[in-house]
Amino acid sequence: MGLPLFSVGEDPGPSFLQYLEAQGVTRSLPMGVDSPHATTVVAVRAADGVVLVGDRQATGAYIASRDVRKIEAADRFTAIAISGSAAMGMEFIRMAQLSFEHYEKMTDAVLSLEGKANYLSPLIQRNNLTTPFLVLPLLAGYDVNRRRGRVFEYDGAGGCYERSDFVTIGSGTPFAESALRLGFRDDMTIDETIELAALAVYEAGDNDPATGGPDFVRNIFPMIVTVTNAGFEELSHDETAERFRAIHERRTASGGRPGGALR
Amino acid sequence: MSMPFYVSPEQLTKDRAEFAQKGIARGRSMVATTYDKGVLLVAENPSASLNKISEIYDRIAFAGVGKYNEFDRLREAGIRWADGTGYTYSREDVDARALANYYAQYLGSMFAEGPKPLEIEILIAQLGNELRPTKLYHLAYEGTITDEERFAVLGGDADTIKQRFVDADQGTSDLAGALHHAVSALSGPDRVIPATDLEVAILEDRGARRTFTRVSDADVAELLTH
Repeated sequence: MGLPLFSVGEDPGPSFLQYLEAQGVTRSLPMGVDSPHATTVVAVRAADGVVLVGDRQATGAYIASRDVRKIEAADRFTAIAISGSAAMGMEFIRMAQLSFEHYEKMTDAVLSLEGKANYLSPLIQRNNLTTPFLVLPLLAGYDVNRRRGRVFEYDGAGGCYERSDFVTIGSGTPFAESALRLGFRDDMTIDETIELAALAVYEAGDNDPATGGPDFVRNIFPMIVTVTNAGFEELSHDETAERFRAIHERRTASGGRPGGALR
Repeated sequence: MSMPFYVSPEQLTKDRAEFAQKGIARGRSMVATTYDKGVLLVAENPSASLNKISEIYDRIAFAGVGKYNEFDRLREAGIRWADGTGYTYSREDVDARALANYYAQYLGSMFAEGPKPLEIEILIAQLGNELRPTKLYHLAYEGTITDEERFAVLGGDADTIKQRFVDADQGTSDLAGALHHAVSALSGPDRVIPATDLEVAILEDRGARRTFTRVSDADVAELLTH
């Protein structure tokens, strides 16, 4: 690749995607390949930020991987998470990370959180309408302009919707969402929100065969991320293990019955 | 049919060089130097929003002097090249030397064949790591490329500033010392450049992937009082 110079009329501007298209570097996969799927992630709004919890399993016909990272920092104040085709999802995360950084370097300005959320729409639309590898991401972050956490979800055709409370994606959604619907309150602290979000993913792991719960044998646990005015932070392995061990012990004590878990 | 006048290649090159030099001399100069923890870039720039210094990639910075629209277009091309290369291969495969060579080729071809030579000089700074050395690639308007280890000066007054820099050079220092040194070389003994007219950025390892940081006017003023 030589020096990519464009005439004034053909200049792709600060969009990395449009630049790649101008260069013809977009990637596609052959049709009809069975690929593993990434499963459950939740993003929940707290009083002063957002909390994301995601399981670590990629599932095809069998378990394809037990330690996938489905939540990544798109930039300092933005988290992106994926469900659906793992291959497309990983590419999707890479593209989002690069695009936001590219925009920042080209313009010397950071995209607004809403700007980032909208940028992903056509990406999802194109992927989902032209390949069988459906991918459904979520975007959550701390809006530095408005000083609060915000969560965005997408539909399969790329529609972008902001939710005032929480977003769940992946096959474990019905179970995770039920827990969140019962447990969500406005203005929860980050700590309370972590507790609820972790429980939601635990429920998904418990009921959905494709979602991985805490794996005490291999010492692998769903990942927990907070995004606040301090930026994107992932909880340490030990902290995460402790949270899930506590839920697990309560559940063991009640003989597997979830009743009262939210209290 | 009228015949064009014959102009010897020597004369043509001389005319074009003079044209480019004049254009570059109209703008203000900049200095880049290494310090104990990284690379410092200092440009005299009264504008707070039209940058001469910019981030290209994790460990690469760009600086331009001369005509803003001409070097800004090359800055954008550099970011695209770097992000595209990192996306296609890997982040560690993005090498400042390759980019400097592309710039050199482009500047050279515009000088020889373009409607007019570009009235700019460019600096590509690379912060070294275990894979690559710290380097300052200086590109002149006609495509000449030089790689410096210690410091580089760009702009119309380059020779004077360079001499001042060398005369007062006391070897590698900390950031405040390097900034002092660079600014006094830029300004000369007879004037003081206010912090608001300085554009300052650094490449420094602070544990993050990206090493480029702009130094605010307030921090520049603070560093200069030390």
